[in-house]
Amino acid sequence: MSVILESALTAGLAALAAGVFWLLGWRLRRAYALLSALGVSVGFAVLYWRVQGRPDFPPIDATQWVFWHALFALPLGWLAGIAPAYRWVWVWGALLGVLWLFVPPFRPLMESGFWSLTTGVAYIVGLALATWLLVTLTAPLGEERGLATPFLIALLGGVSAGVLFYGAKSASLAQLSGTLGAVVGMGVPLAFLRGFTIGRGAVALAMLLFMSLWTTALGFAQLTLGQLVVLYLLALTPALRLLPAMQRLSPAVRFALPLAIVLVVGGAAVGMTYSAYMAQSGDTYSY
Amino acid sequence: MRKQTRWMAYISIVAMLVGSWQPVQAQPVTYRIDPVHSFIIFRVKHLNTGFAYGRFNSFSGTIVVDEKNPANSSIELEIDANSIDTGNGQRDDHLRSPDFFNTRQFPKITFKSTRVRKINDTTVEVQGDLTMRGVTRSITARVTYTGKGRNQRGQEIIGFETTFTIRRSQFNINYGLNGGLADEVRVTFAVEGIRQ
Repeated sequence: MSVILESALTAGLAALAAGVFWLLGWRLRRAYALLSALGVSVGFAVLYWRVQGRPDFPPIDATQWVFWHALFALPLGWLAGIAPAYRWVWVWGALLGVLWLFVPPFRPLMESGFWSLTTGVAYIVGLALATWLLVTLTAPLGEERGLATPFLIALLGGVSAGVLFYGAKSASLAQLSGTLGAVVGMGVPLAFLRGFTIGRGAVALAMLLFMSLWTTALGFAQLTLGQLVVLYLLALTPALRLLPAMQRLSPAVRFALPLAIVLVVGGAAVGMTYSAYMAQSGDTYSY
Repeated sequence: MRKQTRWMAYISIVAMLVGSWQPVQAQPVTYRIDPVHSFIIFRVKHLNTGFAYGRFNSFSGTIVVDEKNPANSSIELEIDANSIDTGNGQRDDHLRSPDFFNTRQFPKITFKSTRVRKINDTTVEVQGDLTMRGVTRSITARVTYTGKGRNQRGQEIIGFETTFTIRRSQFNINYGLNGGLADEVRVTFAVEGIRQ
């Protein structure tokens, strides 16, 4: 089977897995907080397994923690789903949960001497706080009806794949990121169902997994901090729709503004990363 | 006086015997791997079509050779995974990434022999632990003696060569197995050691 067909099949299977859980959740509203997050969790697990093979537990290779994050962060996704009723449990649970999730992947970099202890702790705390902020700010987008939220997150996955491919020089992280976008993108056709939303849990978990992939690329591949910051700001962009000033605008404008930012800034980021990549060597390497 | 002379003669004979005995008891000889005249090259099939070749430029290690009792021989090797070189900088960066060697977490590839068995006068079978990307697997390779001599500095040198095949999936290097890059990687290690 060709590489392209194989990748398409992986994306299709992962998105389908997510779609099944979301459809179930759409019918069983009382279980939706859990099923919404479970869709992303299972979709990403299927995706990871097909791209990277079976991960170990506990992982010898720290980059495998991305897979376990999809499963271990499931309670956080569920907590995001019930957040309106238990606001402080969610906020503190997310903070402690994210801090706990970020320690194991980066400890080996301190052990191998790539990061000093101080640098490592600073990175872990800083990245965990940034992730917590992203997850808590964007999770309410999951309650928005229509295709805007899944579409914008799917687009973010595409931009992220481009930056990871040419910037981090990791095809697997790029594929995982792009296909995570495709998993959330499954919410676009489902958005035409009456009353369908992908749910807070799905958005929270998807954002956490994007951060997990980007921080893995920062620590273990060649993603720069600047590139990570750009991706992070792009991930925050859909949350602009929740600002009171934006709420007063028409739905079309509320969708078009973040879309334009992601397209322009994201497109520029991919373009600049591609140029830097091509300038590195005269002979093109196409993987 | 005559008694003293006789004793001195005995001592001299014993000393001569001990002295002449020692070279017969060949001690294992340690050789330091000469990285300039040693090569670690590998090949892997790309897109089920052609073979891509690469090498590691930086490595070190020792070989202990016991000619009388080859079972006492051994080899230890440490390879700098970051020194991978396939003739294309972008591909080398990709190979260093988590897709393949994840060199930030696993900067070294090591091999330590666990058993050496003589096959014939010029060949031994070496079994040992290869550690790559944090995974240790036992591998077996037939090593051929390629020669012995002296270098320009007058140091004794010795040469060996081996070719063996590993499955990269056994070391958790799984990226691109579905049609991109083959699982089997053929490794050739041609080594020259300098006597220590």
